[in-house]
Amino acid sequence: MAPTSVGEALSALASATDPDDLKVLAGGQSLMPMLNLRLAQPMTLLDINGLHGAWGSIELGTGCMQVGALVRQRAAERSPVVAEHCPLLAEALPHVAHVQIRNRGTVGGSIAHADPSAELPAVALALDAQLQVIGPQGERQVAASEFFRGFLTTDLAADEMLSRIDFPRLAPGTGTCFLEVSRRRGDFALVAAAAVLTVRDGLIVAARLAFAGVASGPVLSSEAESTLIGAEPSPQVLDAAAHSAAEALSPPADVHGSANYRRHLARVLARSALTTAWERIVG
Amino acid sequence: MEETRIHLGLNGAQRSGLAEPRRTLADFLRENMGLTGTHVGCEHGACGACTILLDGQPVRSCLMLAVQADGREITTVEGLAQDGSLSTLQEAMWESHAFQCGFCTPGFLTTLTAFLAERPDGASRDEIRDHLSGNLCRCSGYQTIVDGAELAMSRLRAARADGQSAAAPGRLVP
Amino acid sequence: MSASGGGVTRTLTGARLRRKEDRRILTGRGRYVDDIHAVGLLHGCFVRSPVAHATVRGLKTAAAAALPGVVAVITADDLADCVNPLDFGVPAEGLTTPTYTALSGDRVRHVGDPIAFIVAESRYVAEDAASLVELNLDALPPVVTVEDATHDAAGQLHEGVNRNTMFWRERCDGDVDAAFAAADRVVRLSFSQHRWAPVPIETRGGVASFDPSTGLLTYEASCQSPHLLKFVVGGAVRQPQHLMRVVGPDVGGGFGLKWAPCREDVVLCASAKLIGGRIKWIEDRNENLVAGGHAREDAISAEIALRADGVILGLRADISIDLGAYPMMPSASVTTGIMRAMLPGPYRVPAYASTERVVFTNKAPYLSLRGPWAIETLVRERLLDEVARALGMSPVEVRQRNLVTLAEQPYQTQAGYKLDGVTSAETFTRALELVDYVQVQADLALAREAGRVVGFGIGTFMEPAPGTPDMWAAIGFPFPGEQARVRIEPDGHVSLFTQQMPNGQSYETTLAQLAADEIGVAFEDIRVVYGDTQVTPFGMIGTGGSRAATFASGCTVLACRAVKQKVLDIAAAMLEASAADLHIVDGIISVVGDEAAVPLADLAVGCYMAPDLMPAGLDLDLQASGSYDGEGGGFAQATHCCWVEIDPTTGLVDITRFLAVEDCGQMINPSVVEGQVRGAIAMGIGGMLLEQIVYDDDGNCLTGTFLDYLLPTAADVPDIEIHHLQSETDRLIGSRGVGEGGTILAPAALTSAVEDAIVAAGGSPVTATPLTPTRILELLGVIRPDS
Repeated sequence: MAPTSVGEALSALASATDPDDLKVLAGGQSLMPMLNLRLAQPMTLLDINGLHGAWGSIELGTGCMQVGALVRQRAAERSPVVAEHCPLLAEALPHVAHVQIRNRGTVGGSIAHADPSAELPAVALALDAQLQVIGPQGERQVAASEFFRGFLTTDLAADEMLSRIDFPRLAPGTGTCFLEVSRRRGDFALVAAAAVLTVRDGLIVAARLAFAGVASGPVLSSEAESTLIGAEPSPQVLDAAAHSAAEALSPPADVHGSANYRRHLARVLARSALTTAWERIVG
Repeated sequence: MEETRIHLGLNGAQRSGLAEPRRTLADFLRENMGLTGTHVGCEHGACGACTILLDGQPVRSCLMLAVQADGREITTVEGLAQDGSLSTLQEAMWESHAFQCGFCTPGFLTTLTAFLAERPDGASRDEIRDHLSGNLCRCSGYQTIVDGAELAMSRLRAARADGQSAAAPGRLVP
Repeated sequence: MSASGGGVTRTLTGARLRRKEDRRILTGRGRYVDDIHAVGLLHGCFVRSPVAHATVRGLKTAAAAALPGVVAVITADDLADCVNPLDFGVPAEGLTTPTYTALSGDRVRHVGDPIAFIVAESRYVAEDAASLVELNLDALPPVVTVEDATHDAAGQLHEGVNRNTMFWRERCDGDVDAAFAAADRVVRLSFSQHRWAPVPIETRGGVASFDPSTGLLTYEASCQSPHLLKFVVGGAVRQPQHLMRVVGPDVGGGFGLKWAPCREDVVLCASAKLIGGRIKWIEDRNENLVAGGHAREDAISAEIALRADGVILGLRADISIDLGAYPMMPSASVTTGIMRAMLPGPYRVPAYASTERVVFTNKAPYLSLRGPWAIETLVRERLLDEVARALGMSPVEVRQRNLVTLAEQPYQTQAGYKLDGVTSAETFTRALELVDYVQVQADLALAREAGRVVGFGIGTFMEPAPGTPDMWAAIGFPFPGEQARVRIEPDGHVSLFTQQMPNGQSYETTLAQLAADEIGVAFEDIRVVYGDTQVTPFGMIGTGGSRAATFASGCTVLACRAVKQKVLDIAAAMLEASAADLHIVDGIISVVGDEAAVPLADLAVGCYMAPDLMPAGLDLDLQASGSYDGEGGGFAQATHCCWVEIDPTTGLVDITRFLAVEDCGQMINPSVVEGQVRGAIAMGIGGMLLEQIVYDDDGNCLTGTFLDYLLPTAADVPDIEIHHLQSETDRLIGSRGVGEGGTILAPAALTSAVEDAIVAAGGSPVTATPLTPTRILELLGVIRPDS
């Protein structure tokens, strides 16, 4: 099915006899491999690429940058609006797979798929983006911190879609940094760290540190936040924050890295990301 | 499954064919359109052998459904040479002994065709390697592919400097 | 210049000619097996075991067979009366080779073991049907390691193969006990290599057609040896050899995956016969990674006896292969035999004792991946680096002290053969000249003072390319010659028929270069014909074992000489001259230094179309065969130098420089040689840093997609500097193979460099591969292994 309007798409979702047997197809860069490998075999695909008119633009809203769910990753990567208003996203996008994937993959698709090693969910979490959800029951907004529920699981119901992601504009005195380590260029992250730091009058007033690759979904480190808030952004404090963040993790071990390796990387990347975020504040 | 008719621009010509909804674009090009130059190496988007140009941009044809190509412009490796004469990139690859078994080749050529158009002032070897990290080759060790890309870049730059048009009308540069 | 028997001016041999293959490859007009499309072509799909070890109680195929579009569901029962069990046994002491059926009937022995074959109108429907087959399996405990498999309590995978040990051999040459007793120092190393795989970008596949009206079975297959496939598969499906034809199309890489005939080949051909139709099977990538076959899971435990000054007195080695569940060709006894033979390599080892062992486990079968015996170089070079550390010498010094130089050859080794013309030592010397070893050490010291983790590794080796008669005799494998046939067409153009089966090696170009020079016709006017068993000479090996540079070259040259002699004899009569005074240049036969000439095209059309008008009493059949026995064969050799920098926070390895000095004798096309060297080195780098087939304790393969099995990309392989030492020879053919060498030696040089970096930074030596970031940080002591 290939609806050409949001209304049509919603009708299709509403009338699906078994919502679990219908899968939304956007960029297809995560879903198609699953279909080809027969890991997923839905009876129906809802191809929403025709909704690009409604969900394919990047605009500045009140206090945020609004990215339509169907914005191609490559378009976001090259967007001057993203570069200016959301440097964390701009810094993460080149790490997402390869050009050929980013030409089709969408910002919303990556976030809705919620692969634990993917970059964009961690970015959304670090910025506490507001996710606009739409379904036959209506529209609602979910904060990124509530959105990611587990392995490949989000707050989206089977008959809902992500329509837009609102990335908050950065407050004055904020610096961000995205860092990733992967086996090869373009691979999923072994570990990635996304840091957002706000400093005012020499003290940290806001700090969010999110990881990819360390759990069943992106992880926001409350340990880092509590270590950082109210403290001076000194190397010792940033180091302690990175350390506490990593110690709290129980990363998986797999063919690409041991649990200790991932935990080690988390500490190293957290330290570097926080340091760079701070350096970008002082300019 | 019900087949639908797809209309698409393919290597500069208007073509149409029937496909089931679940048929991939790769299979459609290879079997329905008879263009077997696009190769299938993994079917999960990792090897790059199936890369084609969709409205001029490189994408994995194994990760698109044929029906999604309706109304679009597709260029495959067969569309790079025109009237029997190879593109600047193809010639450069030939001279550089870029490839061996040839199975990965179509994906490299389409990817590089778009890259060369995007980077008229050229790119460093590291940038080329980085850009090509989404295309796997098992035979060459990549060095000669990078050599060929560099050679093509320098020739295109020289042609532009000489004021020659590197593009024939309607032909995808380079 | 004499016209025949040598003295040919070689203008194309040795030149970097552009390839003939590229015109079609660059325009997407190559013709690979999956490009075969035809009305009525059926598609096949295998049903495979999801578990590592089980008895098969039954299959339910009715639902699959009933699916619209399904033509047949073939099981072991369907093949029982028309297909022989696969028997790859060879006579060798200590070897017990079990036979097995093409489709597994009563027992499955690895995840991916083929149990049934679905034939349908489309691949999509065949795969739909495959998921409808119900398997009734009683799981058995799997054995996933050699240790488990050889344990007393382990279940037997194959009847008659005790302790799952298919092969065991002990050998001793020279007085090894005395050598160790007299030693000033003994150094030990136990090293295991991990499992990885050939993984060409084109997977396996074939189209089998059986025409009941003619009884002809045609098999178009992505393969490396069409005649071997015809012989083995034809035999298995009881098809008379004169009614079988194998055709190799363009092949998208082999690297050993496509050399040995496999069960899928047999099932596909048998099914075509049963159905009386045309069936295509194309392996998908997951199938290829899980069930297509793996390699390199080998271990060597060695000890080396030394004099205080570093001279080797003796060597003991225990060699072990984890063969997976089923034996394939060549017999694993041959593989361990080559490992054993090559382990001392180009070094003086006066006394040598070894054991060889091959063990079955519940994993996919073991294949001959490019340079199958490579662990010998990896372990030997590791061992020599270990010796250097133990004796406080440089790795360079240890090697220089023990390498056999040209001056000492012919040199009889304790591995059962002699070295003659082996230039490993000379490549080593040249490499040192090029890199300035003293400066290398100084640069490393400076970088290390600044806290960087850097290393340099050097390794040298020799490889049988194609090897020598006495070497192969010591291993127990034949050293067959090769044949080529050449035909001058009625218009004077040339067709050359080779038994080689190119899968990226550029034979259409290199053999044409040789033929053009030999006969005297234009390169453009020669076509190399390969792949079709109906027209090509028989060869049991096809393309493998780095034989082509020597054997294919030799028989091509001889065939061309023979046909040229015929031409000259005819032309001599036509021109009333002596054949010895004639030469052929650009297709014109003329008297040297005279105007009298006749175009080859005219001569040819005369022979074919107007034989009565041609000079009487001469052989006008413008074809000739050439057989080449290898003139004693030979080895190829090289030295690799590798520089690395390791990021101690991530464990990622950056290869900052890589240099190869190689000697493969006379190069026919240097660009082709360099392409092979770079590709082989890239594969070796991938094998050490990225590629790994992983099984869990239940025998499940965890690396079934390219997200988990990582091939090296353009960003992972550096520019590689190559220097050639083209050893001269007075033989007819001075070319040696070069395709496997990089994959054998690069891992040793790279591992050496990584170890050098790690040890200098206070870490531990490398005793196992792959060199993943996790392992590197563990060796550096930055992290601890997971408990």
